[in-house]
Order: sequence, then C-alpha cells, then structure tokens
Amino acid sequence: MYDYSEFDDAYVRGRVEQFRAQVERRLDGSLTEEEFRPLRLMNGLYLQLHAYMLRVAIPYGTLNSGQMRQLAHIADRWDKGYGHFTTRQNIQYNWPKLRDVPDILEALADVGMHAIQTSGNTVRNVTADHFAGASADEVADPRPYAELLRQWSTDHPEFQFLPRKFKIGVTGAPNDRAVIRSHDIGLEVRRDGAGALGFRVFVGGGLGRTPMVAQELAAFIPERDLLPYVEAILSVYNLLGRRDNKYKARIKIAVHEHGIDTIRALVNEAFAERRALFSGADQALLTDIRAQFKRPDLSPRDIAPFVAARDADPVFRAWADTNLAAHADAGHAIVTISLKPQGATPGDATAAQMRVMADLAERYGHDELRISHEQNVILSHVHRADLPAVHAALKQAGLATANVGLVSDIIACPGMDYCSLATARSIPIAQEIATRFEELKLEHEVGPLKIKISGCINACGHHHVGHIGILGLDRAGVENYQVTLGGDGSETTVIGQRAGPGFSADEIVPAVERLVLAYLDLREDAGETFLQVFRRLGAQPFKDALYPEQAQRRRDAA
Amino acid sequence: MQHDTILGPVAARAEALNDGYRNHAAIAVLRRALSDPAVGRIALVSSFGAESVVLLHMISVLDRSTPVLFIDTQMLFAETLAYQAEVAAQLGLSDVRTIRARPEALAAHDPDRLLHKADTDACCALRKTEPLERALEPFDAWITGRKRFQGQTRSHLDFFENEGDKRLKVNPLAHWRPDDVQDYMINNRLPRHPLVAKGYPSIGCAPCTSRVKDGEDPRAGRWRGQDKEECGIHFVDGKLVRGPVADDRPQEHKEPPMNVIVTDTGFAADDRGEEFQPPEETGAAALDLGSDADVSALIGRLEGVEAIRIAFPAFSDGRGFTMARRLRMMGFTGRLRAAGHVIADQYAMARRAGFDEVEITPELARRQPWEQWQARADWRAHDYQSRLRGAG
Ligand code: HEM
Ligand code: SF4
Ligand code: SF4
Repeated sequence: MYDYSEFDDAYVRGRVEQFRAQVERRLDGSLTEEEFRPLRLMNGLYLQLHAYMLRVAIPYGTLNSGQMRQLAHIADRWDKGYGHFTTRQNIQYNWPKLRDVPDILEALADVGMHAIQTSGNTVRNVTADHFAGASADEVADPRPYAELLRQWSTDHPEFQFLPRKFKIGVTGAPNDRAVIRSHDIGLEVRRDGAGALGFRVFVGGGLGRTPMVAQELAAFIPERDLLPYVEAILSVYNLLGRRDNKYKARIKIAVHEHGIDTIRALVNEAFAERRALFSGADQALLTDIRAQFKRPDLSPRDIAPFVAARDADPVFRAWADTNLAAHADAGHAIVTISLKPQGATPGDATAAQMRVMADLAERYGHDELRISHEQNVILSHVHRADLPAVHAALKQAGLATANVGLVSDIIACPGMDYCSLATARSIPIAQEIATRFEELKLEHEVGPLKIKISGCINACGHHHVGHIGILGLDRAGVENYQVTLGGDGSETTVIGQRAGPGFSADEIVPAVERLVLAYLDLREDAGETFLQVFRRLGAQPFKDALYPEQAQRRRDAA
Repeated sequence: MQHDTILGPVAARAEALNDGYRNHAAIAVLRRALSDPAVGRIALVSSFGAESVVLLHMISVLDRSTPVLFIDTQMLFAETLAYQAEVAAQLGLSDVRTIRARPEALAAHDPDRLLHKADTDACCALRKTEPLERALEPFDAWITGRKRFQGQTRSHLDFFENEGDKRLKVNPLAHWRPDDVQDYMINNRLPRHPLVAKGYPSIGCAPCTSRVKDGEDPRAGRWRGQDKEECGIHFVDGKLVRGPVADDRPQEHKEPPMNVIVTDTGFAADDRGEEFQPPEETGAAALDLGSDADVSALIGRLEGVEAIRIAFPAFSDGRGFTMARRLRMMGFTGRLRAAGHVIADQYAMARRAGFDEVEITPELARRQPWEQWQARADWRAHDYQSRLRGAG
C-alpha cells in the first residue's frame, strides 16, 4: 500500500493551512461567497440542504486500518457518529461545521489522507477496480497508475478550472469492475503483442442527464506515455469544452459534438507537444510507487477450518457463497462486507462498524481495506482458514448481510433525504425493496441482480447502468419513479432503456417485484441471470410484467 | 441558452441598460424595465416587508397587472400576512402570486419547523430560494428592492445585474438612501407595515427577525448574531449561490488607468499600459488575447513579440492557463500576463502555467491585498508537476 512520501505529507499539510486561511478570508470578506465556493469545493466541502458536507477521498478505494480508524474518529468527534461511503470511492460526512473543517482536514493529513479535488470542476479522485492486486483475472495492479495520476492531477495548474468536473477510472483486468466506460477517461491496463504494459484508453463516458458510453480513443498507448497522453486529453478539453451551458460542459458532449475522430486528431497533436515535457522522472516515481503495492506475503495454510465451517453452518455457507470472490491465491479469498443490511441506508457505516472492519483487516487481512463503487467494504486478502472468525465478528457488528450482488445490494444516491437537487426520495425506496425481498425470501433464488436508484436526473445512483434502474422525478409535486431495464456497467456497458410510464411511490416496489417474478418465470435455468434473460428475450416480456393491463389489451387485440 | 437566443446575452444587456440609465430615477428605471423588449418577461419579487410598499406602489401606477411574487416562508409574522392582503387590495394589484415550499420538501427537510435553528442557510434555501427559483422559471427578469446602503455586500449594486447569465435582476432603488424611502411613503400616503412602529425596521421571518435598538443598522435585526446578511436569493448557473452575486466582468474598462500588476515581489503600477494590440496586428510588440483566442494561429508569428496578455473574463474560466502553457511550449519566452478576474488563490497556478504576472482591478486589489497574493507566491514549493516532469 502506498505510504505518503515526505513530499506528499508536506503538500497536504500546506493545503490544510491554505484552506484554514481561506475560511478566515471568507469570514472577513476578502473572498466573496462566489469566489470561496470553488475553493471549498476543491477541498471537498459542499453546501447541502441541511448543512455542509465534506467528501473525503479514498484514492483508488484502498486504505489501511489506521486510516479507517481515523475515519471513525472523525465521525465521532466532528460528525454524528457515522459516515457514508459513495459510488466514487469517497466517504462523506453530512454534518461538519465550517469552522471545524480545517481541523478535520488536519486529522486526515495525520494518516495520509485528504479531501482534495473530491468536487469542483477539476480532475476528481481517481477510482480503480476494488479487487485490484487480489483478483485472479488481473493483467497488472491498476493502483500504481491511479496513484501516479493522483499526484499528477493534484493542484495541476492548468486544470483546476475546467469547464466541468472530470473523472478518471482505471481497471487492471479485462472484467471491468470499475465502470470505466462511464468515466470521462477510462483506462484499461493491457499488454501489447510484445508483452509490454500499456493502456487502452476510453473517453467521453458519463451518466447524469445525458448518459453516454465512452468511446475508444486509443487501442494501446505505452505505459510511459500515460501522463503526457492524459494531459493532452485534458488540454484539448479545457479549450474545447463548452462553458456556456453546464449541462453541455462535460467532455462527453465535446466528443459527441465534434466526433471521436476530431478529438483523436486534436489529442494526438497536443500529445506530440506534451510528451517532451516529461523527462522520465514520472517513470522513476512509478517504479517506487509500484514497489509499495507489492502483494503481501500470502503463506500457505490448511483450509480445513473453512471447509468444516461451510459444511456445518448454513448461515456461514450462505454468506461465503454470496460475499466471497476468487483470489489469485487459491488459499485466500476476497471478502466483501455488505453495507446494505436490508432496511438501512445503503453505504452508511457507524464509527463502531468502521473500527470492527479496521480490526479485522489488521488481524486477518494484511492491514488492507477497499471501498467499492457499489458502496461496500472489502477485505482483499483473507486466508480461507480465517473466514469463520471474520464472519463471526462481522455478525456481531451487524455487518454479515449475505447479499452482495443480489437484489438488496442496491446502489442509491442520497436523494431527498440529504440532497438539495433531489426530486424524489431514493434511500427509502431502496429500503422498501430490500425489506420486501427479505420477506419473500427469494433473494438467493434470484441470484445476481443490480438495482440502482437515483433521486433526480443527475444520476448519482447510476440508474442508467442498473439491470433495473429507478429514477425518481417530480411530476407536478408528486414523486414519480421511472424504470429503466437492461443497463450494464461492466466491460459490456449498456445504458438501460426506459420501460414506460413511471410509478408512484406506492406502486414502485410492487412493480419491481413483478419484474423479478417475471424473470424467474422466463429464465431457462437457475444459471441464467436477469441480464442474460433480458438480452435473450428483449424488453417486451418485462414490460408486460410491469404494465399487465396493457399486456392484456395487446393480447385481446391480437 | 434559451433566454439568450431570444434576447441576446444577459451580461451584454445588463451592461447596455446600465449605461443608458446611469443617472435616472427609480421610476424611470422601472418604467423601462416593464416596457423594454430587451428585458423580456418580468416579475416583482416582494416580501411585503417594511419598505416593499414603495415598489408595489410604483408598479400599481405603471402596470398593476405585473406579476408580483410573494414568498410566504410559512414562518412569517401574522402581521405580514394581514399587511400583504391590505396592500394588494388598496393598490389594486391584479396578479399577486403566493410562493411556498413544496409540502413534501417541507415534510422531508423541516418537519418540525426547527431547521432555522440548526442552519439558516438551509432553511432559507428550502423556504425561499428553491420555491422562488421555481416561480421565476418562466421569467427573463425580476425586480428587487435591494439598495446599496443596506449592507457591505450590496455597496456596489447596479440598476441592472446579470444573474448567472440566466436572468436580469433589476434594482430600481439601488441608489436610494433611507430618507428617500421614508419621503416616498409619506408623500404617497402609503400604508405602513404594522411592525415598523414596534421597532422592526427590517422584517423577514418571525424566528429570524428581532428588534433593532436606536442607532443600530436597520438590518441588524436580521439573523442577529450570525454571519449572514442575505437570505441567499441569488442563483448562478441555475444553482443557489448564497451571498451576493459578484461582478464577473473584467473591470479594466471602468477604471482604465489604475489596474495593478502582481508579481512575486509585490503590487506595482502597469508599465506597459496601452501598448497591447489585437493579435491580427502584424509586427506588434505586445498582443492581447481573448480567452477564446486560438493560440495555434500564432505559430511562426512570435518573432519580435515581447509581451502577451491573456484575458480571464471570470476566475472560474480556466482556459487561459492552458493557453499560457501552450505559448511556452511553442517557445514564447517573453512576458506573459494574465489579466482580469484572477484571484489570489490562483496566483501559484498562473505562475506554474507559465505566466509572469497578473493584472487586476483596483477593486480586487483592495479586497485581496498583497499579503493574500504573497501567501501563494511560493509557487515553486510543493509542486507535483515539477517533480513528475523532472524539472525541479
Ligand atoms: C448530497 C448532495 C449531492 C449533490 C448536491 C450532488 C450533485 C450532483 C450533480 C449536480 C451531478 C450532476 C453532474 C453533471 O451533470 O455533470 C452529480 C453527479 C454525480 N454524483 Fe452527485 N451529488 C450529491 C451527492 C452524491 C453522492 C452521495 C454520490 C455517491 C453516492 C454522488 C455521486 C455522483 C456521481 C457518480 C455523479 C456522476 C454521474 C455522471 O457520471 O455523470 N453524488 N451530483
Ligand atoms: S441523483 Fe440527484 S438527488 Fe441523487 S444525489 Fe445526485 S443530485 Fe442528489
Ligand atoms: S429567514 Fe429564518 S425562518 Fe425564514 S427562511 Fe430564512 S432561516 Fe428560515
């Protein structure tokens, strides 16, 4: 794991002092609120409906137990005892006081963390595959590149006042767990014919009100060209991106309006210039960074205790079958801790729960934790023999929900409960759906199914790429929920299609239930997932389930 | 943007209107606002507070069918509600629209009506800003009763303001003094808000308004004890912006000779001044580039150019940083200046991107004195770029 260099440490502390002074200058009138706004945003501080919200970066989703404990400490000392893990590998605190924020930032700096560039029109926290460095299908660990990009983008003098925010995601595996095609730049680590490392580069993805799947900008760029190439893209965007309309300001619109070929030509031109700016110091730094991400020493041990527990305890077995993923080392497993207990707020964790997870990581997980974009926490290297003990401890802390990847593992944005832009509630809908399927006891039968909910058109809940997506709107003062079907955020990214008229708050949960029951009827066997059935049969049978009256009318007419 | 295609950019219209009306009386400004096609669809926003009756009266004289938006926060004094009905009837206003927060929003965010205790900004956003923003959606312009004397943050108020390139904001009373308001009310025998006589010279919501002692600023009773002067009814980019909307226009035209040049060593007077020429001017020693200029057009033409100035129309528009970097990559070694709305917090960025100096207005130099720029004059320290590029 990456430890801050002296340079990083001095930088972050410098930023805390700068921000302290900026808060003072706002209070004494030197800075207008309008001028202060981007400065506080650059330091992760939003003004929300009820209060300020501080968004702290967890770069590429990786942290150690000391950092997790500090997040717990911040929640206790300056917030209401909990934090909210987001879909972009950040943690948000919803109740900090403006005057406490510099102290919070200082507490973060103490453990090598920060809130820099977690908002504002700049390059945001770089996200990566949450199984990085552990999964079996990986070409290379993407995190050293993400760290290099973090350092490069931090305070980049040209790109702090872009037309709009800019998000970069990196995956090191062909199976895309980082949703890179919905990022402004998506990077996939791959090897060329000669076996040399480099990247396939995508540009112009994004969800929000105009969802678009990123297009391929380059099939392969060599590893050493990463920074000049990304810098070339940003420099083109900074001049070309629209500044007259914030809804048309993302790079996806520039790609759409000018065409990928024009963008590619401009980027290549800029790249030719930029390349000369990098003398190789970045590659030396990359080598140092990579050394810090070396996989921990995974010594072989007998896995008999795991096998025995799995045979003896059905609760453990359900959890193990659902929440474990294959590790590159067969003796180990990747554990996903669900932050989605049925009926709770997706992604919330209390300070006590954070401490439990930190303890488990320290004791059983080589001191490493991950935050996934699906708002869960991951222990990336746990020996199978230790899994029964891990499970027992999680159960005690209310963290052993066995629903990863299932119906109730829902992504939901804050919605009307916290967000000033919301047009509808999203957390309560997620809670009701999860509770309903718990009652039906169908979740494990149904298998992998991604439901994603956004409380307004900005699509923070990624509903466009949910197998079932739900978008809450305001129709003449009444909440109305629109359903999209067949979305996918993986390496086969697809934007879901709108099913038809929306549903009221009372109708939406039964509508989802009808969809899921229809799937169970339609599938050929238990191995065929919801998405596979959808791709085989198309939307019609699902629309029939959603709108039975129309289906009846169609049948009558036929 | 929709409003722009019909009427032309808001900023340009605001500027033209201000120029035309610099020395006019409030009523003339208001007449113009109600009738000029360049203003578009307009509404008066009124709190029916202590001084609101002045504008309401003017409207009733000019065009009593003008839409009047009354924001009922549902936290108002009973006296305000009674006064509202009385004034509307007496003046014959025919289109008073009461604006309230959506019941679901209230139920979700302030079910027990205590939000104002925890966070007045959030409460105002919920009860005023958001409902008003919805109500203003169909309008191109709105009229407010804000006046320069009312607070620090309002001291530069103009008759016509560009509100986030979205709407015009018209402040016919911008230049009025307190006595003007009193005189107008006496001369026109206008009804007084009943609470004025009880010691409330400025009236908002009941929980957030207190009495003002003799000699105190009349607005001292609003949000007493808080660092808050404005309710936050200002939008930029369609989003709420709390506090006043700052003037983003480059101000060198207003106060031409007095701009300040910032370098690593301090503030100085401009020693080049008039010499900057448009980029089309061949043979010029100093060029002026707009924020949308195409730097590539200068390839092969930099011979003999000693200085280039790049405009920053708004501090949030970062194109100039990339333009500067490109000029340096093209081999330009002369003096490079960023001019316009660049703030002290951006000084290190400007220097790192290749600028030598920044040109700012005297107003900005007063608000952000040298010490604030000096704090970022250590631009070589803590610089990730030089570390990654191997340049330092
Ligand atoms: C609570 C206050 C929040 C506000 C006011 C807010 C505001 C916004 C807005 C305005 C956008 C649209 C940006 C655009 O169109 O380019 C957006 C996008 C986004 N937000 Fe939030 N957000 C909030 C919370 C969150 C949270 C908690 C998460 C994570 C769980 C989140 C994740 C995202 C993501 C991933 C997008 C990008 C969608 C895309 O790719 O375009 N936001 N947010
Ligand atoms: S989707 Fe809308 S409601 Fe949900 S967090 Fe984003 S902006 Fe807020
Ligand atoms: S003035 Fe006070 S009560 Fe009224 S909306 Fe603002 S905070 Fe709430």
